[in-house]
Formats: sequence, structure tokens, C-alpha cells
Amino acid sequence: MGAILSRMLGRLWGEKEVRILILGLDGAGKTTILYRLQIGEVVTTIPTIGFNVETVTYKNIKFQVWDLGGQTSIRPYWRCYYANTDAVIYVVDSVDRDRMSTSKEELHAMLDEEELRDAALLVFANKQDMVGAMSAAEVSDALGLGTLKNRQWSIYKTSAVKGDGLTEGLDWLVNIIQGNEQ
Amino acid sequence: MTDFRVTKPKFFATTKKGENYELRADLNSEYRDRRKDAIKKVIANMTVGKDVSGLFPDVLKNMQTEDLEQKKLVYLYLMNYAKTQPELVILAVNTFVKDTDDINPLIRALAIRTMGCIRVEKIIDYLCEPLRKCLKDDNPYVRKTAAICVAKLYDLNPELATENGFVAVLQEMVSDANPMVVANAVTALAEINEASATKDIFVINTSTLTKLLVALNECTEWGRIAILTALAEYRPSDSKEAEHIVERVIPQFQHVNGSVVLSAIKVVMIYMRIIKTDEMLRQLVRKMAPPLVTLLASAPEVQYVALRNINLILQKRPDILQNEMRVFFCKYNDPPYVKLEKLEIMIKLANDKNVDQLLSELKEYASEVDVDFVRKSVRAIGQCAIKIDEASERCINVLLDLINTKVNYVVQEAIIVIKDIFRKYPNNYEGIIPTLCQNLEVLDEPEAKASLIWIIGEYAERIENADELLVTFLDTFRDENSQVQLQLVTATVKLFLKKPQTTQNVVWRLLQIATSECDNPDIRDRAYVYWRLLSTDPQAAKAVVLSDKPVISVQGNTLSGPLLEELINNISTLASVYHKPPETFLGRGRFGADAVQRRAIEEQEEASRESPIQAQVKTNIENLLDLDFNDTSTPTTSTPPSSKSTNATANVDDLLDLFGSNSISNDLSTPPQSSSSNNHQNNGITSDLVSLF
Repeated sequence: MGAILSRMLGRLWGEKEVRILILGLDGAGKTTILYRLQIGEVVTTIPTIGFNVETVTYKNIKFQVWDLGGQTSIRPYWRCYYANTDAVIYVVDSVDRDRMSTSKEELHAMLDEEELRDAALLVFANKQDMVGAMSAAEVSDALGLGTLKNRQWSIYKTSAVKGDGLTEGLDWLVNIIQGNEQ
Repeated sequence: MTDFRVTKPKFFATTKKGENYELRADLNSEYRDRRKDAIKKVIANMTVGKDVSGLFPDVLKNMQTEDLEQKKLVYLYLMNYAKTQPELVILAVNTFVKDTDDINPLIRALAIRTMGCIRVEKIIDYLCEPLRKCLKDDNPYVRKTAAICVAKLYDLNPELATENGFVAVLQEMVSDANPMVVANAVTALAEINEASATKDIFVINTSTLTKLLVALNECTEWGRIAILTALAEYRPSDSKEAEHIVERVIPQFQHVNGSVVLSAIKVVMIYMRIIKTDEMLRQLVRKMAPPLVTLLASAPEVQYVALRNINLILQKRPDILQNEMRVFFCKYNDPPYVKLEKLEIMIKLANDKNVDQLLSELKEYASEVDVDFVRKSVRAIGQCAIKIDEASERCINVLLDLINTKVNYVVQEAIIVIKDIFRKYPNNYEGIIPTLCQNLEVLDEPEAKASLIWIIGEYAERIENADELLVTFLDTFRDENSQVQLQLVTATVKLFLKKPQTTQNVVWRLLQIATSECDNPDIRDRAYVYWRLLSTDPQAAKAVVLSDKPVISVQGNTLSGPLLEELINNISTLASVYHKPPETFLGRGRFGADAVQRRAIEEQEEASRESPIQAQVKTNIENLLDLDFNDTSTPTTSTPPSSKSTNATANVDDLLDLFGSNSISNDLSTPPQSSSSNNHQNNGITSDLVSLF
């Protein structure tokens, strides 16, 4: 009886998880960001063949954060993970100017998906610690974020290695999600 | 929660979306426990055979979890459906790799095991790194699991397994400190060795041998079987080494698992070939008996396997269970296959000391209800008589008792058996012939009839009314089975040769019928031969027809030497149950043409042991066919290409020699050049045959 009660309470109050996808081309820093968010440390990563998923609690919200592999061969399977997604964190390697257009194509193809209609978009212009990184505005232009309609979005300069900009981005996300629930 | 906006026209929107649809929604739920429940439901559906492969990506998403139970379930699902979704399996790779780094050794082992079980090409490349890690793991459980995984990888991609040095690692693992790891490394290596082309992957040397012997006493039953099987492949350098190993193996005789026991016996049986010390051999024979007896207390299926193996062991070492006859007595509730096998072993064990006991037991069996078993029991009595000279009289008495029961099939079987006894001990027991002849009317089986007719013919001079008895068959001659007809022809001729004055009329009538009204060429030809023989030279006929016959011995199913040795090497495998070498029922080609041919020959030989006449008929027919077939397939070769054709020609030679026509036999010994010349030769034979008469 008690178990059932606590289970029902759990359903009502705490246990619901907010589902977030971290997407982006390979080598953008998705896995590093995920573990930076979860354990606050920089881990050595190998290319993700498949996915990582971790639960991150931030400001009393339980985030179920999915980090999907960004290699060309795996990108087609991103769509398997779109269902029930509340927000997408799109990570861009700000130094990799050559593949910015590819990144843009992938982003827009993803946002066209029906299942992600209501998902918020948070773009991380990552690797700001490196020389020659594009600014947030430049990245925003390159990705064509200005053309997005009916979408809550924002872009932040980040450096996963240093830990800069991640909390700011997450704060924005928390605001959006809480705003949606009210 | 599942807010799917369907844009299709509403005719297509049904309220019922099916179970998988609901499961998919639950698998993607925001609630942890709901996801887990859904996984359980998916697995439940999987186990009852519903197709849930469509949920693959959704189940896969639940793979990364702290919950061990959930992880196991997802892994189970993966193993089942990976083949149906080879593209999507790649999504699991990262989780596998992470799990092989987990702090929990159970998870590490689980991950590497599952990865090995997913036999999808795409995943192999990603398997190598984790596998390398796990092979060097600190935890023995992980190492032993990884060892098996190497064998699985080798099966999928031998080059990859060798190039990455996994096979080499495996070879090192045989010297691992942990016995379980040793056992699994041995299992994996044996498997790889068998699959490899060179067969040099698993070679036991002195240092690995010591490790194996140490591990043998400490690992699980599976491990023990693996190690014992490996030891059976090893050839000790001398008698001393063999003795040393055998001494370490003998304690395994006491293991509860029958397969361990049999594997240990196999090792000992093989090593006994090398051991030279008589004392040691005697001791081994003594020590092998109790474990074999113990196996007979198991379930019937295990008993059967044990019996089939004991059968082999006895053929090699007849002295092994000498004093254990009693344990092979059939129990009333033994299944038929166990009973028949026990019978065979009892005959093998019979000697002049225990034969009384055995005979009274066999007599009991002959009064049971299972007809097949009863017949075999009666046959067994006959085999005792033939095997043990001293017991023949007692056997005859038992058989007479059985004939007096007047149970039809018992009587018939007894008469068949008595014929063999007469053959083995001629002129010893004619006193019982009248009793046998009284039963002439009740015989309806060809073999029994033929047997009694043979007896009448053989002892025609002592049976006063032999001619009357044979005459009764004359009217029904045409309806008889060919076996009976052949015996009738021979018996009548014997009768005539023994009592020429009174029986001329009978023999004339019979040969008349046999030559003019019989369709069967064998019977007709035999009648013709007799007729010619009798009309040209009665003395010669006497010499041929009444000549001394070669001695017979027990016909029991004994195997030829090389085959027996090969089967001994395969004790406790299926081969030892079938009594057939493994390559006849295993291997890539399964049943090749060669094997079929060999089997046919074997069968023929077997048949010829049972009934010489019929077999001869068969041999002749088959050889003629062979000859024809061979001509068309190899029309221009000058030497016979296969043993088969040599056989055929040789046989024809024999036949021709029989007719004393040397010219033609020479002609035929050079293989025919074309089918036309073959025809010509055939004509030659026929014309010669014709000229004979």
C-alpha cells in the first residue's frame, strides 16, 4: 500500500524526467559536455558509436540527457530518439568552419521532424577556448538560426573543457521548461 | 503524454493501435518504472514467440541503466533480435564498450558475453578493443567469459581473431592461475583448433599438461569434461607419462556427472594403449568397473548411453566387467532400448562360470510379453551356446523347454537358433530333431521354416520320414518365400544324396517345379546346377553338396578393429552411441557419396553375416549393377579408377572362376573400353552360362 502511494506521489512530483538530446556533428564535444554537466569533470572520450545517456539533476529538475553519436553513419538513427523530447542541445565546433554548412543541414533536417515540433533548441558554439573560434553571432548566422519560426531557441558560447557557458545555457533551458509547464 | 498528432484522414485513425504501439510508448516513457515494466512485457512477448523485433531501437534506448535486472533483460532482447536489425545494432556499441569498463565484474562479463553472442558482422570491429581488455581483466570471471568469446569471434572471422593476437592470448590463458579460466580457455582452444585448417592451434606440452591436471580437480563439471577431452587428444611420450596422467584422471571416476565419468574412462582407455606395465593395466581394468556400474543406476537415457559405451569398452577389454553380470539383468520396467542393449552386453560377458545364471535369466525373459525382446532373448540363448562349448547342452535344454511352451513366436525363434547350434556342433544333438519336426505345421515365418528344412536336409539320413516331411512342401512350393524355396531345393538334393533309393521321385519333381515354374533366377539356377551335377557325376555332387562346412562363431555385433579404435577415441560422444565414426553424421559435407558407398558395403557385410544366401544374392546383383554403372561413367580409362570397380571385376572373376572358364575371366580382367564391347562381353558370359547346361 505504501509502495503504491509513494509510487503515485513519485509520478506526480519528482520522478518525471525532462528529456534532452545533445546532437551535433562528430567531434563537436557532445560527450564531453554531457559528462561535464553530470560529474563536472572533463573525461577522455572516444568517438561515440551509439549513445550515452545520463541523468543530470539541475535546479531540482531531473534531466535525462541523451548524447548521440555524431558520425555520418549514425546520424540517420537520431530520429529513433526524437519521441518525447523536451529540448535539443545542438553542439557546434566553432573552429570547424568547413563543416558549418553540413552542420546547418543536419540541424534544419532535424528541426523539420514532426516529433520535435515543440522541442526547445539550445545551440552551444563550443570550443571557444581555441584560437580562431567563430563568435556566437557568426555561428548563428552560419546555421541560419534567424530563419527559425515557431521555435524557442538560444545560442551560447561555450568551452566544455573549461566549463564556460554551460550553466548559462542550462539556466535558459530551465526557464523555458518551467515556463512551458506553467 | 503520447501526443501524436496524426495528420492522416480520420478513416485511418483507429483507436486500436496494437500492443507494440503501446509498448513503444511505454518504452519511451518519462517514468523509469514504466519503462522497466514495458521491457518485461516485451521479453514476455518474446519468450512466447510474438514478434517484438520492431521495438528494437526503443528497447535499445533502455540499455544504459544502473539497474542490473533491466540491463540483463535488454541484453537478452539484443541477443535474440540483433540478427533481424543488423543496422541498428551499432547503436548498442557505445554501451557495450562502457559496460566492459564498469566497476562491477558481473556487468563487464555480461557485456562481453552478450557482445560475443551478437553475431553481426558490423559489430565485430568494435568487439576487439573491449575483448582485449576483458582477456586481461583482473577478475577471473570476466577472463573466463572473454575466453569463450574468442572462440565465438574466431567462428565469425578467423583472420581477425588471429591477427589481433586473441588466439595467442588464449594459449597463454591455459596457464592461468584460476582453474575456471583454464577450463574455458581449453574449451575455446579445442573449438578453434577443430575449426582451424592447420589444427595446430591447441598443442599440449609438458608445462600446460601440469596446469591442466591441476585445474582438473578444481573446476566445474563442464570444465572437467573440456580438460578430459583435451587430454584424450594428447599422446603421452611413453608409458610412464601415461601412467602418471592416468593416476591423476582416475579420481574423476567418482564424479556425480556421468559425462565426466565417461570422459575420464575415455582418457584411460586411450592411454591404456600406451601403458606397458601389466600390473598397472590390471589395476586400471579393476578400477574402471565400479564407475561403469554406477552409471547404470541413472535415468534410462543415461543408462542407454552408458550401455552403448560399455559395449565398446567390452569389445576392447572383455575382462573389465567379468564379475558384474548381475547388474546387467533387465528390470521389468526398463525401457525396451535399454533391455536390448543389456542383452547384448550379457552375451558379451557370458562365460562358463556365469552361464547358468544367465540362462535362467534369459529363460525368464523369453516368457515376457514384449515380442521383440523375447525373440532377442531366445537368440541370446543360442549365442551363449555357440560361444561357450560347455554350455551348449544346457542351452539346448532351455530351448526345448521353450519349444514346449508352444508359444508360436518363441518356437519359431528357438528353431532358428537351434539351426545355428547344429551348425556349430554337428552330430551332437540329433536326438531333439523329432521334437522340432512336430512343430513343422506351426511355423509360418520364412526364416524359421528355412531353418527347419535345413535341419531336415542336413540330418536326412537319421530322420525316417524326411521324405514325407519335404513332400508336404512340394505342393505349396510356388507360394513359399524364396529363402524357403532355396532351402527346400538344397535339402531335397541332400536327401536324395543320402537316400538315393527312395527319394528319386521327390527330387525329380522338385527340380522340375523349381526349373520350370519358378520366376526367381536364383532358385531356378540353383536347381539347374544341382540337376546338372546330379546327372553328370553323383559322386562330385556328393562332394559339393555334403562337404564339411566352415565353423561358425558368435555373430554378435562386433566391430572391426580400426573402427573400434576410432570409436574408443570418441567415447562419451554421439559417435559412441551410434557406433559410427563422427564424420558419417557430422561435418561440412554431411553425407558424401563416399560415405554412402562405404555404408552400403558395411550393410552388405552385416547382412551376409546374418544370412549368407540372401546376402550373396544381393552382392551379385549389386556387383552387376556396379559394373554397368562404372562402364558408362568411365568408358575410356584403362585401369579401374575406384576400389568399387576393382571389386566388381574381381567378383565377376570369382564367378567365372567358379565356372572354370579361364578365357573369359582373362577377358574381363582388362576393363571394358566402351559400352559396346561391354555388351559383347556380357553376351560372352551369357552364352557360356547357357553352354554350361
